[in-house]
Amino acid sequence: MVSNSNINNVKTKTIGEIFSKDPKIICRNVDVFYGEKQAIKDVSIDIASREIISFIGPSGCGKSTFLRCLNRMNDTIDTCKVKGSISLDKEDIYDEKIDVVTLRAKIGMVFQKPNPFPKSIYENVAYGPKIHGLSSSKEELDFIVENSLKDSGLWEEVKDRLQSPGTGLSGGQQQRLCIARAIAVSPEIILMDEPCSALDPIATAKIEELINQLGKNYSIVIVTHSMQQAARISQRTAYFHLGELIEVGETKKIFTMPKDKQTEAYISGRIG
Amino acid sequence: MNEYTLLILLLLISLLWFYFGNKTALSLKNKQLKLNSLPHYYGIYVALYSIIPSLFSYLLILVFDGILFSNLIMEFVPKEILNSPDFNKIIVLAQIDNAVRGIYFGEQPDWVTIASNQMIEWNNQSLILNFFCSISLALGIGYLGFKNIHQEFRSRNSVEKIIISLLGLSSIIAILTTIGIVFSVIFESLRFFAIIPASEFLFGLTWNPQFEGAERAGSGQEGLASYGSVPLFVGTFLISLIALCVSVPIGLFSAVYLSEYANKKERSIFKPLLEILAGIPTVVYGFFAALTVAPLMRNGGSLIGLDVASESALAAGFVMGIMIIPFISSLSDDVINAVPQSLRDAGYGLGSTKNEVITNVIIPAALPGIIASIILAVSRAIGETMIVVMAAGLAANLSFNPLDAVTTVTAQIVTILVGDQEFESAKTLSAFALALTLIVITLILNFYALHVVKKYREQYE
Repeated sequence: MVSNSNINNVKTKTIGEIFSKDPKIICRNVDVFYGEKQAIKDVSIDIASREIISFIGPSGCGKSTFLRCLNRMNDTIDTCKVKGSISLDKEDIYDEKIDVVTLRAKIGMVFQKPNPFPKSIYENVAYGPKIHGLSSSKEELDFIVENSLKDSGLWEEVKDRLQSPGTGLSGGQQQRLCIARAIAVSPEIILMDEPCSALDPIATAKIEELINQLGKNYSIVIVTHSMQQAARISQRTAYFHLGELIEVGETKKIFTMPKDKQTEAYISGRIG
Repeated sequence: MNEYTLLILLLLISLLWFYFGNKTALSLKNKQLKLNSLPHYYGIYVALYSIIPSLFSYLLILVFDGILFSNLIMEFVPKEILNSPDFNKIIVLAQIDNAVRGIYFGEQPDWVTIASNQMIEWNNQSLILNFFCSISLALGIGYLGFKNIHQEFRSRNSVEKIIISLLGLSSIIAILTTIGIVFSVIFESLRFFAIIPASEFLFGLTWNPQFEGAERAGSGQEGLASYGSVPLFVGTFLISLIALCVSVPIGLFSAVYLSEYANKKERSIFKPLLEILAGIPTVVYGFFAALTVAPLMRNGGSLIGLDVASESALAAGFVMGIMIIPFISSLSDDVINAVPQSLRDAGYGLGSTKNEVITNVIIPAALPGIIASIILAVSRAIGETMIVVMAAGLAANLSFNPLDAVTTVTAQIVTILVGDQEFESAKTLSAFALALTLIVITLILNFYALHVVKKYREQYE
């Protein structure tokens, strides 16, 4: 447990409001190393319940790395080391007692490139509930699959071909299938790593609409290269540069009155 | 003066042409002319231009003369030998050929000496002709090539064309050899099926080939020979099945371990060690099976009250299974590694354990490739001979019991064709029929494997 007294008492160079009133995830002084190379330097930030927060910044600034720390996806990389503390509901997720499998069920993830399993659409969505034993009967499983597909706005398009392969869908549909797959295990937080970068504008618009909908029930952390997208969908925005968290704040303020010079330079298109 | 001198001469001439070609091109270059290609291409061009036609004519004359002489020499064979019922052209030619080489078996008939002297004379004349033709071609055509050299001549492109045709020729030789093997087996098999009906061969339940000579000599019982191949194929599949039961789990599990669990260091140690298995000669596996595994199984079986034959399908199949482990593990390892990381990430991102990711995501995605590797291993197992000959015995029992001695198609082919045999007999010819059936079966398996692999490529790309 991270004690309450010191979580808001942290030294940071970050400009803006890193704290939130109702924090779901609390990150304090996080450093990430790939071998000798430091990819993230001393990042502290809160992620609130039911908020959509976007991470922006130039390529290689560490925003995806930081995102992958939040559900310990970096564990799969041998050389990666994480220091500092990240807690979910005030429980340190890097504690030895934490079961990383349950953690990842609570914090879902959507990846840059749509990556449906080479199975049927139904099996793709049913995968998570099956391995976590979320349903006790076929009917219940059908219900979960249907609801997840409805929530991801895909149901009407695929209800007649649930048994055809998920890889046969279009790129945008595949990405929505991946979102449906992620929400089928009813996570509390969804991490999205540039979910629209491989999609055309129409598919992107659909996914953005979907993210807005999902934001009512989940906390969503989205890494994006598109500043317009960050401006359209997120309530808060965090700007990363060279592994450091430069500025955090309300999206409107970040985009209209950035306090930091680097942030301003990036947003006005001078770096990045 | 012999063939080798000629070949060395041809080589020297082409080297000379290379030198001249190169030199001419260099002198053109020294005159500040812009050459189309680098100077040495001109040399290579002239050298190839001179040596290829001369070699071709050398081989052509050699083959043509051989055929011509063997027909002409028949003039010297006495009428009574030509007309006798035992006349065999191949034997007569071999007799003359031996005389030419100076090998004699006892007293030489006069006509053989005359014929061989004639043959030696012809051979010498042919060699002189060959010398003349090849060398004049090497010089003449080489000169034509040499005359081609001028500033704008595209020798690079011409060399390219010559090389392409050489490469094409090599692949055609490989294909023709395969076709030749298949046809030689087909023709001999047809002769077999003229004696024994195909239905008896394919569906007969008893395999007991006998020389007709043995029957005639009274040592074989009348009407005992029978050519039902079913016991052999049952034996083959029984042993292959046992081999698969050993190799598929071990091979697959080690592939999973190597690709998913082992770190780089472990992988660099275990993978080569596993692949050493593929490098052991099968005859070594054979005596390992016969001397170590089979007695072990017999003793172990008698301890628990099982009657295991000293040469059992189980021992042969077990060792064969060990032999084909690297085929499955190595190919499956590649296939599993080819499953994109994004699918693994998707699995982990949903909160799967490593084992769940492997069984629910990776293995299904890699399954077509894994199946293809298994099918390749099966065709290897079906064709395996040495282990079976040494460890499974030669008794053609129609048995599904792995503890019995059985035999396989390949082991029978070996025993039929080893040693003295009468070439016209059904027993010898049956080896070709067996080989043909085996080729067809492995061919079908290979086609099926290729088909699966093709399907696999469309899976997640």
